[in-house]
Amino acid sequence: MTPLLEVRDLRLHYATPRGTVRAVDGVSFEVKHKGEAVGLVGESGSGKTSMALALLRLLPKNTSRYEGVVRLQDTDLMALSDEEFRRQIRWKRISMVFQGAMNALNPVIKVGQQVAEPLLLDRSVRKADAYREAEGLLEMVGLPKEVFHRYAHELSGGMKQRVVIAMALVLKPELVILDEPTSALDVSVQAQIMNLLKRLKRDPGISMLFITHDIALASDLCDEIMVSYAGEQVEWGTAEQVLLTPRHPYTQRLLASIPRLHSPEQPLFLPGQPPDLAAPPPGCRFHPRCPYAFNPCDKESPPPFATPEGQRARCWLLDAGRALHPRNDT
Amino acid sequence: MTWREAIREVLASGPGKAGLALFALLLAISIYVLVAYPLDFGPRRWSNPAVWADNPKAVPPAWTNWFSATRHVPHTTWAASQPGVVLPNHNGPGETRQYHFSAKFAYDEAPTFLSFSLGKVLYHTRPPVVSVEMIRPDGEYVLLYREQVRGPRPGEEAPYVRYQDTPLRVLLSQQPLAASEMARMLQSRYGVEVAESRLLAGGLKEALFGEPSKAQADAFQPLRGTYTARVEVAVADPQDQVGEVKFVMGGTVYGLMGTDTLGRDLREGLLFGFPIGLAIAIVASILTTVIGASLGIISGYTGGRTDLIIQRVADIVSNVPVLPLLIFLVFILGSNLFIIILLLVAFSWPGLTILLRSMVLQVRSGQLVEAAIAMGASRWRIMYRHVFPTTAPFVLAQMIFFAPSAILAEAALSFLGLGDPSLPTWGQILEAGFRTGAIYVGYWWWIVPPGVLIVVTAMAFMFLALATEPVVNPRLRRMT
Repeated sequence: MTPLLEVRDLRLHYATPRGTVRAVDGVSFEVKHKGEAVGLVGESGSGKTSMALALLRLLPKNTSRYEGVVRLQDTDLMALSDEEFRRQIRWKRISMVFQGAMNALNPVIKVGQQVAEPLLLDRSVRKADAYREAEGLLEMVGLPKEVFHRYAHELSGGMKQRVVIAMALVLKPELVILDEPTSALDVSVQAQIMNLLKRLKRDPGISMLFITHDIALASDLCDEIMVSYAGEQVEWGTAEQVLLTPRHPYTQRLLASIPRLHSPEQPLFLPGQPPDLAAPPPGCRFHPRCPYAFNPCDKESPPPFATPEGQRARCWLLDAGRALHPRNDT
Repeated sequence: MTWREAIREVLASGPGKAGLALFALLLAISIYVLVAYPLDFGPRRWSNPAVWADNPKAVPPAWTNWFSATRHVPHTTWAASQPGVVLPNHNGPGETRQYHFSAKFAYDEAPTFLSFSLGKVLYHTRPPVVSVEMIRPDGEYVLLYREQVRGPRPGEEAPYVRYQDTPLRVLLSQQPLAASEMARMLQSRYGVEVAESRLLAGGLKEALFGEPSKAQADAFQPLRGTYTARVEVAVADPQDQVGEVKFVMGGTVYGLMGTDTLGRDLREGLLFGFPIGLAIAIVASILTTVIGASLGIISGYTGGRTDLIIQRVADIVSNVPVLPLLIFLVFILGSNLFIIILLLVAFSWPGLTILLRSMVLQVRSGQLVEAAIAMGASRWRIMYRHVFPTTAPFVLAQMIFFAPSAILAEAALSFLGLGDPSLPTWGQILEAGFRTGAIYVGYWWWIVPPGVLIVVTAMAFMFLALATEPVVNPRLRRMT
């Protein structure tokens, strides 16, 4: 069976005065079926948003390299021209919830009209039908009907986020990319939005690519989790595999850094800075911050290794041919 | 903010009230003028000296009498189409038709002129004889004019029609007959010898409406009382027809706004300036704003080479010295009002373009636009649906703000003698006054009102622009 979305070796590089920035470097993953949520977890600057932009082909002007295989059902997205992509794919088949929902809404157009706008771009839809549909969507994301006639600045942050989610759903796309949909919200509102997303995933069965820096949030929603670091995916597998038996040191540290409510354990933090994507460290990109770094780490980039639990991780520690106790090695 | 709130906000401020009231007034007057006057008012009336022949030249408005110690003569016109008295002829079939026009004369100076006109005469056998007599309060009769209507031309057949289109117009105060009759009357009644040439040179009016001054030799003082002008038309056939008979006493003051040196009623010229002034303001500002805003948005949003070209052109156009170039172009292209407006527009769009571009650059980098692109909206749709509305209030304010400068620019061009000659504008009235030296002779009624009207109209728009500021500002802040 063909997966809903298949991404192979996707690359998106930017040309900057300092050199090439490898924001997305050889990322591969699949969203297998309807209603599946894949989480993309990583620090700020690890290329998460670039990943979303690459999927929607919203390329910045300084893009220097954009390649790979992106297949949505049976359509080869990379083979489409820009105009075809705009007309056939954007919002109709892949939509997106932007990071700052507050700023994604037009301040001078009524919220309902904005939700209905993508419908109206298709000239065959009548205005009244589009507005009725928009009202239904607003209701589906848990907003009162009267929000339809409000302006964006009259809504709270959580309400705006719901509106933006409704906007993303209006053309019934096969995939919704959620780029940090909750990062600008306070925790209680964040929980409401997460519940809304979980509900939408179940019914009407929306497939999602959930981008977040918060692995705990991803664990709440996602079936598959992919951890990315410095433009590369470092560990990916089912949520269970990645969360319960993390094999990559970065994932382990990421999980250890989550503060726990009822435990005396102090959250651990990662020492050092995320690398400069214009000049990533040689070999494994994580090795300058890795407590287990040993001899091949700073020379060769690790290929994906299968772990005993079944997920995949790019770490020399998992190479069966190498020593299992790296500390003694160095 | 909805439109209703915006209007309420505008009305809440003093300038808003004043601006809207002034604008409503200007609009009401303009609509009245457009309804009441023909559109070819310029060539047909204003620039046609025949229309103004019976008006006094360069006299102040009538209401100046209220503030003046000397009582000036108001301009008075009498007209009659039916004779007051018809006397049968004793020795023939004809009759004499008399028209009487009388006025109580109680002024401190003589009228500027006396004229009489006769229209549409039709006779069958002999041409009628027309005579005009003035009956003075002292009982004297002074014959001012006697003439026979022109006889049949060879080959012409009865009935004979005269003065069909252009009436016969006689300036009585310059008739040699009147002068000699007057001199004879003065001789017989007052024993005063006055040369006919002096009367003809302008003294006749004072003599006719006065008596020899007791205080000063060789001068006249006004004689108050009732004067009657009697126009007689002696026809040889009762079937002969006489059209309108008109008698005009040229005033030393005239109407609401006075007259210029051509005798034109300034009130009409000034009134006609209202719709033209508003049209210039509105058309020029709308065109400028549309062009400036579109180019600004396209330039800011599209970027790249388009942006570069638009901005460099804008830089060049906005740095060209406008007035000399305008004068030159109007000189070449001709002074048609429409061309003048187009030229004004051609040189005023860059400011808005440069300004809007910088605003659009800000909007463009926002998530709003990114989201719209992600939705698959086309460039044009994003520009008019998302980018334009965020800048719309500012654009509107700029549009209102531009209106007064358009009015002032047109006035400046007109003042330099480059206005559209077929349409009287305030600037042109000013220019005519300036050219004929009105400003040095002290014809204030010719110079002040057009100047004030230009300022008031500009102010109406200024007030509106001021009042829209509170509406525009918070939106600008929110947009960023």
